[in-house]
Amino acid sequence: MLKPGDAAPPFDLPCALDGKLSHLSLGSIRSEMVVLFFYPRDFSFICPTEVIGFHKARAAFKAEDTSIVGVSVDDAETHRRWARELGGLSYPLLADEGGKVVRAFGVLDDSENVALRATFILDPKRTILYAVASPINVGRSVGETLRVVRALRSGKLCPADWDPGSDLGPAVAKH
Amino acid sequence: MAVLKPEENRRTFERLANIREIVFGVQDGVLTTAGVLAGLSGAVAVRSQVILAALASTVAGALSMGAGAYLGTHAASAVLRGELERVRRESEQQPYVVQESLIDALGKEGLSREAGYRVVKLLSSSPNVLYTTAEEKLYGLAGATFGNAMIDGVLMGVAFLIGALVPLLPFMLIPSVRFGLIAAMATTALVLFAVGYVFEGRFSGERRPALAGLRFLAIALSAATIGYVIGLLIAPIGTVAPG
Repeated sequence: MLKPGDAAPPFDLPCALDGKLSHLSLGSIRSEMVVLFFYPRDFSFICPTEVIGFHKARAAFKAEDTSIVGVSVDDAETHRRWARELGGLSYPLLADEGGKVVRAFGVLDDSENVALRATFILDPKRTILYAVASPINVGRSVGETLRVVRALRSGKLCPADWDPGSDLGPAVAKH
Repeated sequence: MAVLKPEENRRTFERLANIREIVFGVQDGVLTTAGVLAGLSGAVAVRSQVILAALASTVAGALSMGAGAYLGTHAASAVLRGELERVRRESEQQPYVVQESLIDALGKEGLSREAGYRVVKLLSSSPNVLYTTAEEKLYGLAGATFGNAMIDGVLMGVAFLIGALVPLLPFMLIPSVRFGLIAAMATTALVLFAVGYVFEGRFSGERRPALAGLRFLAIALSAATIGYVIGLLIAPIGTVAPG
């Protein structure tokens, strides 16, 4: 699995967005930060809570100039139907059918041939700033992902359990 | 509109499951007693001793088989019930594991992941329906799997007793050991053929039920022949030289 400091492997994949099929490359994403989250499968009982969670928090991520991108090994048409099943999603679901991108990020579950539940936060140069993987039975915290985005964008030293409004340490780097 | 009645169907299947005890009991009763008669007729010259031994074997066999069936069903049911409870507990703690496994199971039976998801989503609207389906689909466990230990035991014992009387009665009624044994073997063969013909042939809808009957007959002849030969071989051991 790639770690903070590694360059995010570029991708150009089919995707489903706003009920339509499209294509998305990493280079075409214009936002300052990118939250790239991998999940095992569409039409699953494990993933929808966090897929919907990211959708619900879209305004907060947008306020942080951060794009959200979901990736699984399902095809784009399945993504489109899955997004419709969930009531519509505000961000693209990438179709990494061959698992090339999943492998490039080192998050392939070999036994099931699907992506692990992994989240990466990328900076403007598309370098990985944050990487985390969850076991299959534990859903990700969308709020925690947002907190980390905010902390990274603050450019300061953020103590444990920091959240916006808490004291910050000295500046280290601005992302 | 004609619909299937699950409870009625389940009771029918439970009754059909008892065919096992009946066939097993009759077959074992017939074969054991025929084997005892054949073996002892070769080894013991006195007819009354042969009959006495066969009667003792019949009573002991019926009790043993009945108790064995009772204990076997009782133990199997206890283990299965425990397993069902464990499965249900796990299902309640981790429903998504059950849901995902059901989607996979339905996928292996031909449903697309999407269709499987929708089916499981519907099933999930009632936890009880979800768990019952999971028990059947994922573990092959169902209520009909449990037998009634008492019924199984009684059926097995009675079936053994009836089966044992088949060779025993003609042997007891015909004074000659040789002719009694021939009659016992003939009725044994006839009844085993009939059991195979009726239960395996007719009830299962086999095209050639006579083949099923012949299978039983072959077993009977083999067991009786082997028993008789062994009786002849061990006869010298039991012979006491006159003092």
